[in-house]
Amino acid sequence: MMTEFTLWDIIRNLITGLEWTVGLSLTAFLLGGAVGLLVLTARIGRFPWLQKAMKGYIELFQGTPLLMQLFLVFFGISLMGIDVPAWLAAAIGLTLFTSAYLAEIWRGCVEAIPKGQWEASSSLAMSWVEQMRYVVLPQALRIAIAPTVGFSVQVVKGTSVASIIGFAELTKTGGMLANATFKPFLVFGLVAVGYFILCYPLSHFAMRLERKYRGSSSH
Amino acid sequence: MAYHFDFIAVWEYREQLATGALHTLGLIAVGATLGVSLGTLGAVSRAWKIKPFDKIFTVYVEAIRNTPFLVQLFFIFFGLPALGVKLDEWTAAIIAMVVNLGAYSTEIIRAGIQAIPRGQIEAASSLAMTRAQIFRHIVLRPALQKVWPALTSQVVIVMLGSSVCSQISATELTYAANFIQSRNFRAFETYITVALMYLVLAFCVRWLLNKFGSHFVNGRKTT
Amino acid sequence: MDLVRIDAVHKHFGSNHVLKGIDLRIGAGEVVAIIGRSGSGKSTLLRSINGLESIDDGQIEVDGEKLTAGQTDLRALRQKVGMVFQQFNLFPHLKVGENVMLAPQVVKKMSRADCEPIAKAMLAKVGLAEKFDAYPDQLSGGQQQRVAIARALAMQPKVMLCDEITSALDPELVNEVLAVVKQLAVEGMTLIMVTHEMRFARDVGNKLVFMYQGKVHESGDPKELFANPQTPELQSFIGAIN
Repeated sequence: MMTEFTLWDIIRNLITGLEWTVGLSLTAFLLGGAVGLLVLTARIGRFPWLQKAMKGYIELFQGTPLLMQLFLVFFGISLMGIDVPAWLAAAIGLTLFTSAYLAEIWRGCVEAIPKGQWEASSSLAMSWVEQMRYVVLPQALRIAIAPTVGFSVQVVKGTSVASIIGFAELTKTGGMLANATFKPFLVFGLVAVGYFILCYPLSHFAMRLERKYRGSSSH
Repeated sequence: MAYHFDFIAVWEYREQLATGALHTLGLIAVGATLGVSLGTLGAVSRAWKIKPFDKIFTVYVEAIRNTPFLVQLFFIFFGLPALGVKLDEWTAAIIAMVVNLGAYSTEIIRAGIQAIPRGQIEAASSLAMTRAQIFRHIVLRPALQKVWPALTSQVVIVMLGSSVCSQISATELTYAANFIQSRNFRAFETYITVALMYLVLAFCVRWLLNKFGSHFVNGRKTT
Repeated sequence: MDLVRIDAVHKHFGSNHVLKGIDLRIGAGEVVAIIGRSGSGKSTLLRSINGLESIDDGQIEVDGEKLTAGQTDLRALRQKVGMVFQQFNLFPHLKVGENVMLAPQVVKKMSRADCEPIAKAMLAKVGLAEKFDAYPDQLSGGQQQRVAIARALAMQPKVMLCDEITSALDPELVNEVLAVVKQLAVEGMTLIMVTHEMRFARDVGNKLVFMYQGKVHESGDPKELFANPQTPELQSFIGAIN
């Protein structure tokens, strides 16, 4: 590696790291959303043992550090004799983390639907699946959008922890550059700016959505 | 699977684990106290538009909430010395936690303050109370009471997040885990154990804050 | 021939024994008004007829569909029992027409083309044909409740349950809803309603059930009961209302 870094060199490298951060965030958010939907279904479904299991799953991920979760995925898969690359461990760990949080957020949204909606659809002889599909989920979805977008900010920030298991995203790239350039103030400042550029629009969007949907109950 | 789990190899390091857990608790105790205090200042500045602090806190909150804790920690520990501010790992960890929690609790407590009915403040004003008196006697307690569950959750989140302080060699619980697994080569068992310890710590912190909340914040016991 | 048979029904909420052995027979075309103080079990009784409250003992039978303690699959029974709620409970994300057509489409698997004329007819019956494409929050409370009635009617139930359907309405909107219910009664619909509208119970109903402490305390012809209450409890209840 060269010893002389221009500002442009630093920024160029950080942008590469930023791209990996975006990739990991998108992967974790999309896969986490899909897994989270399954967790949600089991969590609010009609099988008590599944409900309990999913409650445990959510509490496990909300009660332990993300870093521990990544370590456990990383070393847990290695136990089975499979060599896991850091990006894969990070993607799996963050997906599980995201799924637990999203499932819990969405459960809150489903439970915010008034009891009368369940009763009215019950009295019309609709089954649980039909009630969910036609009455509850369409309404829950509307109120879920803002907190879901809001949580995406936590996912983006969470990807920085993947640097610790060696995935060269933005924070890891920053750490390497800080060591190489002896300009930690500048480099970590720029790293922070990088995250801010990703997160601020999402935060802002979430806030606007929340204002828009608060108080309006339909269409 | 041929792998044999060996938790004895972890048990041998119980002292390191206990010390690490205590350090983690110490970090969050100091971090939460100072962080929520900072958040209270921020909240009242923003809610009551006290110039110029309201603007300063707005920028601060946005900057902190939109960047990762790990980067904040690195910036403080590695970056600030470049400006001549040398910090040991504990000071850096605590500053990072206070700054982080301060931003989140500013927003949380602000919501609590803004939920106080206007009539309460008008009534207090009509009794010739000053703004400081109104805040101290009328606003603060109900506001904290209202948002106490949210504050509790945030404190737990910050405590779990403090595990990355191991990266600046603060010898908290995760640092202990890293140390132990480098000695006993039982990474999985070590991290499982420590993850469960965090789970217990999170439970205890939540329980303590609930207790604290119902005694001191609510001011009266609800049965 | 009894359309609804309620036999020895018991229900507890924890240690609170809310229904203490209810027996009731309701024939097709009867209009039954259930009255009583709050806490007398009248709403619980009504809600157990379509299984919104499970019963702990006894049996309920509607048009041959049985409902017993602990039973969970109630779809067949619920297709025969329509219900209208105090709080309307319209689906806020669906238009009025969609509210009415939803259950026929998903439960009875009817096509939209087949549902639409039924929905329009039911909305016309409650006087709201022109609101087919409106959203519930664009309607007054009285209009919403009439849509709720149309929604229940679209399933072509054998019995309609009305749970204090005018209690959440502003006074000036009560009559438009009662007029619709009265029309249903005239057309021969079997109605079971929990109500505070005593005059309506007397004028439109042909059976009055007075509930007291979890039991049917007195029942019979409304006009006779109102004129001549047999028990002191009903006397004081009627006295308190007037």
